[in-house]
Amino acid sequence: MAQLLLLHLIAAALAPWLAKTLRTKAFPLLALVPATAFAWLLVVATDVRDGNLPTQRIPWVPGLGLDLDFRLTTLSWVVALLVTGVGALVLLYCTWYFRDDDPTLWRFTSVFTAFAGAMLGLVLTDNFLMLYVFWELTTVLSYLLIGHNPGSSTNRRAAMQALLVTTFGGLAMLVGIIAIGVHHTYSISALLADPPPLDAVTVAAVVLLLVGALSKSALVPFHFWLPGAMAAPTPVSAYLHAAAMVKAGIYLVALLAPVFAGAPAWHALTLGLGLLTMIVGGWRALRQHDIKLLLAYGTVSQLGFIVAIAGLGTKTAALAALALVLAHGLFKSTLFLVVGVVDHAAGTRDLRRLSGLGRRMLPVSVPAAFAGLSMAGVIPMAGFVSKESALESLWEEAQEAAPFPSIYGYLALAAVVVGSALTVAYTCRFLWGAFATKPGVPPTPITVPHPGFVLSPLLLGVGCLALGLLAPFESPWLMPYAVTLPTGASPEPLALWHGVTVPLLLSLVSLGVGVALFAQREAFARAQARVPALVDGERGFARTLRAVDRGAVETTAVTQRGSLPIYLASILLVFVALPGMAAVTQGRLPEVRLWDNPAQAVVGALMIAAAVLVLVTRRRLTAVMLVGATGYGVAMLFVLHGAPDLAITQMLVETVSLVVFVLALRRMPTKFTRHPDSPSRTWRLGLGAAVGAAVGVIALVASGGRTTTPVSVDFPTEAYTFGHGKNIVNVTLVDIRAWDTLGEVSVLVAAATGIASLIFVRTRNTRLSRATAKALPSSNAARGTWLLGGRTMRKEKRSVIFEVVTRLVFHIMLAASLYLLFAGHNQPGGGFAGGLVAGLALVVRYLAGGRYELDEAAPFDAGLLVGLGLLVAVGSALAPLAFGGTILETTAVDFTLWPWGEVHLVTSLVFDIGVYLIVVGMMLDIVRSLGTGIDRQIAEEQEQDEQQQETEDEPEELQTEGARP
Amino acid sequence: MGDFAVPNLLPLPVLLPLLGAALALAFRRSDRLQRIVSIAALAGVVVVAAVLVWQTDASGPQVLWLGAWQEPLGISLVADRLSALMLLVSSVVTLLVLLFAIGQGHADSDDEVARETPLSIFHPTYLVLTAGVANAFLAGDLFNLFVGFEILLFSSYVLITLGGSASRIHAGTTYVVVSLLSSALFLIGIAATYAATGTVNLAQLAIRIGGLDSGVALVLQLCLLTAFAIKAAVFPMSAWLPDSYPTAPAPVTAVFAGLLTKVGVYAIIRTQTLLFPESPLTDLLLWAALLTMVIGILGAVSQSGLKRILSFTLVSHIGYMIFGIALSTQAGTAGAIFYVVHHIIIQTSLFLITGLVERIGGSTSLHRLGGLAMASPLLATLFFVSAMNLSGVPPFSGFLAKIGLVDAGIAVGTPLAWVVVAGGIVTSLLTLYALSKVWSQAFWRPLAEARQVAELAAEEAADEAEQFEQAELDAGRRPRGTTTITAAPTGVALAVDTSPRALPRMMLGATAAMTAVGLSITLVAGPLHAFTERAAADLRQRDPYVTSVLPEQVRR
Amino acid sequence: MTTLAPTGFESTLTPNITLVLVVVGLVAVGTALALDRSLVRVLLGMVLIGNGVAVLYLVVSGRAGRAPFVGEDPAAMSDPLPQAMVLTAIVISLATIGFLLALSYRLWQISGTDDVPDDAEDARIQRLARDDETSETYDRSEESTTTSDERAEAGESRG
Repeated sequence: MAQLLLLHLIAAALAPWLAKTLRTKAFPLLALVPATAFAWLLVVATDVRDGNLPTQRIPWVPGLGLDLDFRLTTLSWVVALLVTGVGALVLLYCTWYFRDDDPTLWRFTSVFTAFAGAMLGLVLTDNFLMLYVFWELTTVLSYLLIGHNPGSSTNRRAAMQALLVTTFGGLAMLVGIIAIGVHHTYSISALLADPPPLDAVTVAAVVLLLVGALSKSALVPFHFWLPGAMAAPTPVSAYLHAAAMVKAGIYLVALLAPVFAGAPAWHALTLGLGLLTMIVGGWRALRQHDIKLLLAYGTVSQLGFIVAIAGLGTKTAALAALALVLAHGLFKSTLFLVVGVVDHAAGTRDLRRLSGLGRRMLPVSVPAAFAGLSMAGVIPMAGFVSKESALESLWEEAQEAAPFPSIYGYLALAAVVVGSALTVAYTCRFLWGAFATKPGVPPTPITVPHPGFVLSPLLLGVGCLALGLLAPFESPWLMPYAVTLPTGASPEPLALWHGVTVPLLLSLVSLGVGVALFAQREAFARAQARVPALVDGERGFARTLRAVDRGAVETTAVTQRGSLPIYLASILLVFVALPGMAAVTQGRLPEVRLWDNPAQAVVGALMIAAAVLVLVTRRRLTAVMLVGATGYGVAMLFVLHGAPDLAITQMLVETVSLVVFVLALRRMPTKFTRHPDSPSRTWRLGLGAAVGAAVGVIALVASGGRTTTPVSVDFPTEAYTFGHGKNIVNVTLVDIRAWDTLGEVSVLVAAATGIASLIFVRTRNTRLSRATAKALPSSNAARGTWLLGGRTMRKEKRSVIFEVVTRLVFHIMLAASLYLLFAGHNQPGGGFAGGLVAGLALVVRYLAGGRYELDEAAPFDAGLLVGLGLLVAVGSALAPLAFGGTILETTAVDFTLWPWGEVHLVTSLVFDIGVYLIVVGMMLDIVRSLGTGIDRQIAEEQEQDEQQQETEDEPEELQTEGARP
Repeated sequence: MGDFAVPNLLPLPVLLPLLGAALALAFRRSDRLQRIVSIAALAGVVVVAAVLVWQTDASGPQVLWLGAWQEPLGISLVADRLSALMLLVSSVVTLLVLLFAIGQGHADSDDEVARETPLSIFHPTYLVLTAGVANAFLAGDLFNLFVGFEILLFSSYVLITLGGSASRIHAGTTYVVVSLLSSALFLIGIAATYAATGTVNLAQLAIRIGGLDSGVALVLQLCLLTAFAIKAAVFPMSAWLPDSYPTAPAPVTAVFAGLLTKVGVYAIIRTQTLLFPESPLTDLLLWAALLTMVIGILGAVSQSGLKRILSFTLVSHIGYMIFGIALSTQAGTAGAIFYVVHHIIIQTSLFLITGLVERIGGSTSLHRLGGLAMASPLLATLFFVSAMNLSGVPPFSGFLAKIGLVDAGIAVGTPLAWVVVAGGIVTSLLTLYALSKVWSQAFWRPLAEARQVAELAAEEAADEAEQFEQAELDAGRRPRGTTTITAAPTGVALAVDTSPRALPRMMLGATAAMTAVGLSITLVAGPLHAFTERAAADLRQRDPYVTSVLPEQVRR
Repeated sequence: MTTLAPTGFESTLTPNITLVLVVVGLVAVGTALALDRSLVRVLLGMVLIGNGVAVLYLVVSGRAGRAPFVGEDPAAMSDPLPQAMVLTAIVISLATIGFLLALSYRLWQISGTDDVPDDAEDARIQRLARDDETSETYDRSEESTTTSDERAEAGESRG
């Protein structure tokens, strides 16, 4: 069975290619695929009848209970016959339905073949989850088929309607399946063999499963999608909406009936909604002018009828249901295919414009007549046999009051009679509408269809008759399913003639009433027009969708404010409400001490004072200075705590930050746009206080929780014996936790790149612009050359003293930075501190001499430096591997080097050098971007201002102004 | 292999990209060398990750104490099944996205757009990003996890503001500031953790937190959860995401959407299972999952831009993963892991496809798109399959991931769990709705009809915007001086020329490969699901992790 | 550095309330600033929060002590591990400052102010909500899919 599905899959995959080369000739070839399946079904027919059910099992996701289990039962055999047989004929029919030059053939052939495969899989599988898989596949593929002509907005909407409605049902069904699966089994045969007790979960699951079935088979209130789906090409309607997909719901009901027909709500949903649908569908079919739509409503009506019978739960009903499925599949696909031929031949499907086709199109009108009679339930057609048997099953129910009170049985009988009468009436309307010669309507001009085009409807139409005549032989093949139902007596075999029985009388009544209705069609139509639409599912659907959409808009408008402060506030509120409140309510406050050193209180008070002042100042620079003050305060606290490395680094970072702030903010207005006491200040302050308090309480509660010594208790001994360094913090940074440091310098690499990219938007960095005496304007060359680049600065900005000092200090700072780098392992310092000092040296050069001076001081590319640093750091991390060590492992090397004598070199120094280079590179990037880069933009803008009256020149020229000659 | 120790491979997923970044910076004048280096580095990571998956599955968690420091002094890298799997998926994704980006660069090399994505910045930054992601997955140390986050965050700051255009700066600002706040909260959480336990090693924390007062443990748990939930975009801390992701260049959005939130999810899974096994927060997380799913998907339904729709579905589906985590059962955890794998791949695919849509249609606004199914059948097929996959339509991975979670939810069976299952089902349906709207309008609707509609909308919107601004000002809801960019950003102005550009082969190839990877999950679903089950079992037992990291004598 | 007696490596912590109050103050002010619209103020707020967090690490590292150098009495030493972590955090905060300043500068360059603007797309949705409108991609057509079927069929491809 898996092979058959694989065949469909391969065919679907090859179909686009086939369609491109063979055009419509691809269809007969593809028709062979379902035909093969059909043939196989015939081969195994006797096995199925005798109970030697073919099974197959291929594991897929055993952990989820989702496996490719197949099992051919009588029920699935019957539906599969229909699906494959009609599928093959419809594909054949497509050969003449589509034009050879249709550009969508590749898509249609593929999707249609895939659909046929999915449908076959649906009925063959023995695994509930797989059933859902195929079920949804048919939904999605039918979505594509309904939207085959997406040029019209109506078609697109119809496709989406069908998709959403059936997926809704499908998802409900999925929950039902899983609810049963989790507690019992996903195996269909196991479920049928050993049904679970009808507890609350199971009943809920059964209801959910039925919702899926009802939506798929287009029962009220989901019925509206099916007429909408008539937007699909007619072969699709003939297959999906007559023979195959809509039968899936019936299949599911029939599948579950043997075990769940006794569940509460089962009969209300199947029988109740089914018969309601039968009447609603018939009623609305009588109002249609489009013969395809008429058939669609007729299908709705019939589906309701079949679901009702399949859901009844007795043996007789089960037999009837199978007969109905077959009969309906045959006559309805015939009729749809006929509509396709008529539509092509006459160019319309409007029964008010069609006239005189019957006699001129005998090859079509004859099978249509067979099928019509079958639909109306006229002897000796298949439809008659099955309806007879359905009425019989209801009559039997009413007589025996099992499985539900007989009053409902009689009501159901009455409903079926009414529904059948409507069926007869719309059948007449169809046949009359399509083929009759209407007074006052000129004969519709037609083009004679190709003989092949009528072959499929002809065969199917004859089938309607044949199946009726052969009814007595039909029963043994269907009976194995019927006997699996627990209720009722063994059914009588199907037959054309059971004698004069109540069902026969009822049948005659409905026939008579139906014909009368048709005869009085105009009067009846007027009556219909006065009755308001009973069930308008489509409007309900539209309203629901609109409500969802409106709800979505309203919800999103509330939750998605688009405002950064609000986003931050919501995050902070969560922080206060969850960890903050947990600390307050669940935590215990520990013993505290006032301070380690009273100086902490003094520094702390100053810091808080500075912070509070930030809140009230409007001047940017003041705010920056005040924040800087708190930073220096932190450094003081580090000193007081006994953390000299931190203090040094913090000082340097703070200093660098201040410079960077000043550089970046120099072009912005000196004041913030808005006054700090804007209306929102209250809540900002309130939230700030809450967050601060939360952090404080968390810190206290967490500290109070400590019961063990920290892991770092071993650092002092290990740092020296294993890390070869005396500065424990530095050993931690470059060795114990060197991996953190490596990550951290990666952050610097990214940040450096990012800063450059934000200022020099287009490339990472610009060309260096080194000053040469010749190339540069020397407005003030006379004033000495302490700093080469200084000459490029404007006169009033130059300061000789600053230049002199810079000249002297620069190298001292570089030396100091190197000292910090090399001594760091044993004394305060390290790569970070060293790099920052070197960076500051560059900053000083820039401040004193301007952008050209910077390039003089560092005549290389920052990116290169950063890259080199990263290379050194990563290389030193990897190097130990070459010596059989672990990544980042450190060793000490002792050797003699003139003139220092004995050198004790720890390999982690190399790593620290990498760090140093990256920090210098980042500093260079920062100064180049926020210093030089902004300088340049200022210069450009000034230049532009000057040239404003003249012709506009690209500022490109300015960028290259200082390029090396 | 002999005596080569597999644990020595552990740092490579971080070091190889960093090495690549260093070289890319050095070779920044040669596009060609940069490309070669980047591809080589990431391909190397894929190989390493594959070996790790195989090795962790065969012989348990792999541990490396960096620098050979005696446990538990230094930093440990740990790859258990979960880490290795995440690493493999993320490395495949980053490699394919890199190829897409290179393809884009090729295609644009003589184009104005080239300036928009300066590759000399892109390569090193992108490599650092992947190093950060890998580090986060491998970190066996809470503080190192923070560092991993910082690496990926800083590179993401650079990538999201690439090109520095107004929209990217605005969006990037939101992203950067929110991320900074989350980092600060994470640091506070680490401080609190260290205060209570005196360690940051995860395995040691697993032991020590067990000995804490339950109130203190709860505070730590909530601190970490809050920090990670921001990164993972869990409601109500998710609104930043749809405002920031959509403006970045296509490959950047793709990798962000696919990976970055999942790193947050990973961190939640790791810390919740390892550190707080007896979580008292099941109900809280279930509520968070429900709200994230439903509010996220309602957001998607209300949008009109493809990238924003996808960003909202991204948020929404994070809810599924939180759902699995919240259940605190093995099936739930396995379901969450499976969903993470599926979602990384599918979101990346969809955003790559969106990148192609943008190329071909000149926009990602549904107002302007039309006729794509005709214009590029292949692209249409890729989109349709991926959209169905995301919506959880069988037989794709989204469906498999979904049934894993629904299964776990129903097995737990509390009323709240049922409610969340229902919410998940509704979310699934609305995802299908949102994406079928896209399909219907961008792919099915003829371009001519789209243009007509757009013209009408343009007129309306222009009037509307004006009125709204005025009304808001009058109502005093928006302080004066606050800029709201209302100048006809999406959908209102018509693209001058939307003549389709041919899709560069390499971009299309990378996208198709990404989609194929997603589809292949369907084929390997059996082994993959079994793997996630084993991974989840490891996580719930905690023993495999803790005992491989710490020798007996230091387990205190 | 007068207190030498106890050690930084305690098995119980008695937090320093002064430092805790400094943390509370810095974080509170920092948060209030971070909620501002001006990106520069946001940055300053983040720096303040960062400073507060640095002090928080002092709180959790126990008592003050001697600088952690080999040769000091370990019993009188401050805990080096939080110090290493803070050092990492400090350097990252420098990177943050640099990047955010570049971002603020660019924002100012683009929009003439460093105020962070509200998201335009979100504003559109809010407009729709205010007007009780459906979303822009919602299919507003009220037409039934079936009554106009004939018209649709006219466009169908037939061969």
